[in-house]
Amino acid sequence: MADQEDVTPIDEMVDGRGGVRAHWRPLLGTLGGMGEGALAERARRLDRAFEDEGIAGVLPGAKRDAAWRCDPLPLVLSAAEFATLEAGIIQRARLLEALLADLYGPQDMLAEGLLPPELVFANRGFLRACHSAGATPPRPLLHLYAVDLVRGPDGYWRVLADRTSAPAGPGMARENRRLLGRVMPEAFRGTQVRSMRPFFDLWQDALQRLAPPEVGDPAVALLTRGSQAPRWFEDMLLSRELSCALVECGDLTVRGGRLFLKTLQGLQRVDVLLSRVDGAALDPLEMTGSGTAGVPGLLDAARSGVVRILNAPGAALAEAPALAAFLPALSRRLLGEALELPSVETIWLGEPGAAERVARESGWLLRRATDGAMPAAAEAAAAALAARAAPATYAAARVPPPSLVPCVAAEGLEPRPLVLRMFAMFDGTQWQVMPGGLARIGQGATLGGALPPQGLSKDVWVISDEGSDIIGPAPAHLPPMRIRRTPGALPSRVADNLFWLGRYTERLERAARLVRATQARIARGVVLPREAAEVSALARCLAHAGFDGAEEVTGSAAAQALPSVIAAALRDDGALTSLGERIADLTLRVRDRLTADMYATFTLTLRAARAEMDQAGDNLESISRAMIAVLRFATAVAGVAAENMVRGGAWLFLDLGRRVERAQAIASEVGFALDEPPARIEGGLRLMLELCDSVITYRSRYLTVLQPAPALDLVLADGSNPRALAFQLEAISRNLSEVTTADDTTLPDEAASLLAEAEAIVAELVDATDQAVAAANLPPRLEAMANRIAALSDGVTRRYFALLPAAQTLGMEGAEPALRGAA
Amino acid sequence: MIYRLRHVTTYAYAHSVDLAAHLLLLTPRSLPGQNVVRSTLAITPTPSHITEAADHFGNAATRVFLDKPHERFEVIAEALVEVRFPDPPPPALTPPWEDVVAGARRSEAAEFIFPSPLAPLVPAATGYAAASFPAGRPVLVGLLELMGRIRRDFTYKPGVTGNNTQVVEVIESRTGVCQDFAHVMCAALRGLGLPARYVSGYVRTRPPPGRVARRGADQSHAWVEAWMGEGFGWVGLDPTNDIVVRDEHVVLAWGRDFIDVSPLSGVILGGGEHGLRVGVDLEEAEGPVAA
Repeated sequence: MADQEDVTPIDEMVDGRGGVRAHWRPLLGTLGGMGEGALAERARRLDRAFEDEGIAGVLPGAKRDAAWRCDPLPLVLSAAEFATLEAGIIQRARLLEALLADLYGPQDMLAEGLLPPELVFANRGFLRACHSAGATPPRPLLHLYAVDLVRGPDGYWRVLADRTSAPAGPGMARENRRLLGRVMPEAFRGTQVRSMRPFFDLWQDALQRLAPPEVGDPAVALLTRGSQAPRWFEDMLLSRELSCALVECGDLTVRGGRLFLKTLQGLQRVDVLLSRVDGAALDPLEMTGSGTAGVPGLLDAARSGVVRILNAPGAALAEAPALAAFLPALSRRLLGEALELPSVETIWLGEPGAAERVARESGWLLRRATDGAMPAAAEAAAAALAARAAPATYAAARVPPPSLVPCVAAEGLEPRPLVLRMFAMFDGTQWQVMPGGLARIGQGATLGGALPPQGLSKDVWVISDEGSDIIGPAPAHLPPMRIRRTPGALPSRVADNLFWLGRYTERLERAARLVRATQARIARGVVLPREAAEVSALARCLAHAGFDGAEEVTGSAAAQALPSVIAAALRDDGALTSLGERIADLTLRVRDRLTADMYATFTLTLRAARAEMDQAGDNLESISRAMIAVLRFATAVAGVAAENMVRGGAWLFLDLGRRVERAQAIASEVGFALDEPPARIEGGLRLMLELCDSVITYRSRYLTVLQPAPALDLVLADGSNPRALAFQLEAISRNLSEVTTADDTTLPDEAASLLAEAEAIVAELVDATDQAVAAANLPPRLEAMANRIAALSDGVTRRYFALLPAAQTLGMEGAEPALRGAA
Repeated sequence: MIYRLRHVTTYAYAHSVDLAAHLLLLTPRSLPGQNVVRSTLAITPTPSHITEAADHFGNAATRVFLDKPHERFEVIAEALVEVRFPDPPPPALTPPWEDVVAGARRSEAAEFIFPSPLAPLVPAATGYAAASFPAGRPVLVGLLELMGRIRRDFTYKPGVTGNNTQVVEVIESRTGVCQDFAHVMCAALRGLGLPARYVSGYVRTRPPPGRVARRGADQSHAWVEAWMGEGFGWVGLDPTNDIVVRDEHVVLAWGRDFIDVSPLSGVILGGGEHGLRVGVDLEEAEGPVAA
């Protein structure tokens, strides 16, 4: 039967007669030389490479989707095939741009009946706030556009979906290429693969060119939904690739009709916003009833033309699946051209008779008319029922059996179905199609109506036309590229995260030192009488560090009680476990401020420490190993910070956090250690030196004679001892002076005053007639210092991290009759 | 009829508001039948930035931004408006309601046949309206009957419902205020496929001699405009008072429901608890009227 042939999917690599297609041959030749099992090995290495890059699921505890995966075998497109797709994609992009401009302008397409009103007025993607009656919208509305394509048995590519709001994937396409090049460089040798680099260069330049006309040196920012959103990694990658600031809604503010980024140095203007946030969530002033998320006044600024949002906030409108049924006619009307790259056959069930036809014929897949998602097979029956009740909210599509492409499987290669995502970017003058893309692979033999999960992807190779793709000097018709100034200022939110990363890292390290000191004294199961006081002091230190149950422990019961207190801190919700979680989360949030190597050092050592903590259980030995892993992590962070970070804003706040935490801990712990009768002060001094990691230094200076003044000088006033209070306060004062303007020196002054107090304590001790008595009187003074350091930390938070009061909306207050706006 | 309009909105905050953005729909629309002679907005404290633009529906929207701390925010909207909306056509001459439904999707009224957040499809509301629209009845005959039924069947009672009250509750309780009745009527008509839009505005404070005082005076008011086909266009219907809009109403803005036309909305940072006072006066202008 002729029909039978039509439904057999074609294979991208081999033709129907068993031969390898010409544009695949060089690649297969190269791979053939790699030997048995080499591909499977490369697949494993690629998986590991993505894991190490932390693209997903790196940090245990930080909830992430499964890791991104890329198959080592690329999808190969010939130059001619790419040229055809390129032309079709550009035409479609022009068409959707023209359609959006009409629908957010005069709406002629509705008046002429070329588009049913349901697809606009009953479409959540149509943002009324982006339309002003009688006005035309700022152009372009589309800047980045993506299509999902399937190739049917007839060999033609058809569009499964248009992506017009903030298409995901261009950054991942680039990352696939980068890691594939690293893991399997030899595969590129025999084949002239077009580079994606020029596309990103043009994109970066386009963002500058699309700035509002009067802006001289435009500042570009990429607006992300944040580190908790699934696209965080890609947003970060793109912001680096395009040299623009990475910002969240909370970092932005509109003042006097202009858009600004809140930084430590004050407000900095933003002229172009590459938005990866849903348009309906951009501005709470315009989207009444949608809460307070977003930037109030952002749409107003965009409307006045002082800031350019790309894509325009209302662009999601063009993603409506039912639109596909009307595009051929719209193309003739808006472009005067026949549509070159068609959609999969689609009908809108609001048309008379369409619902009946879909019920009668087989092979139709139901989709929501205006929502992008295609119902999964399990939901299809429910959708069919709903479509009968409200047909206008559904469309139906015939998705041909998609083409197959070989993927590395456990047993050699396996053909799997393929959806190809390609990207186009408007540079201010024309559309540029990325010579590459993202191939997404289905699990079974067919797609079964649902889009393949994000799990497995492929790099997409476009074969270079002989000689056409030599990267040389830019073509003459391009205007010279402007010199770019990356907005280098540190957003307040990032400074806040770095500060707390520093504090928590130090807090974890202190806790590990306390645990080790405690274990050394209780390991034998009994507490020696001369150590009883030290163990009591340690219990107070542990309680202060958040170890539940430690405060009730007294000297004699300590050997029995403390092991379980420590073990509890390592269990779920325990003090150490939750510290580890918070650090993992903060590491993720500040990731865009760390180089790949720094990030790897942070996460690999943290992962190791958390794994050890996770497995430690009640066993003293394994707890002790876990503490060593924690100390190793803390040392790694300190080392990376010292050796790899530029002494700018990011380092300053990471260091500040660490110093503040350590200063506070020293003041408190020395206070606990000295809280003894004068006769027993020696034990306290010994513990104090141990907790401040200063035993060896003391010995080298004073041999074995332990006296209060020299010991306290070493841990409180000696500015050359990195474990001394003075060292921390000097660093705090220095760091704060760097970020403070001359007119307000309150915070560095307070740090200096604390330093003077530490020096005064030691000076008075030296002059005391009985040093032991004087030392035993110190705890209240040290506690007061600890409180002042805590207040200093609060001062830093208020001054630099701009704790904004809560936002609220007015005008929809709800039930209180007094607040009613209408009768 | 010429009216002097004065609408005062005052927010008082428990704490200082650091940053505020407000969207005002407080300027009456210029329309055939409504001539806005003069219209002003006095805003305290003085905003740092103001923009004016027509919204999607063609309403005059004003956006104001304040970036100095303030404990009080006041808008005084004043206008001099001449209204004389044309008399409605003889009801019997209007087209059968089914013809209006058939022509709606391709018309300028198309947007107003679709459900909206506060006027969604409610089968009980559609069923309630259907009794007034037997087959072939001229559309305005049905509309006037429906308006009269709402006035009779529903109890006007302030303080029971709120800005977020749903049509389904109002159709159940048969109680509410003008906003609720307008939402019920919009939802009911759209359920039948008839275009209906929500109108925000005012009704005169004191009745003309010899007429009863209107409900909804002294405050913002709301009613409905229904579409009667290409030939006859829109007619204003006030179900709270069972009257056709002619010369006792001033139109501020229209939209799909209250959310589209809230006279004053906004986002503020800080402020804590807030109190709101609203005062409306719509009086016949006396003496010489200057532009």
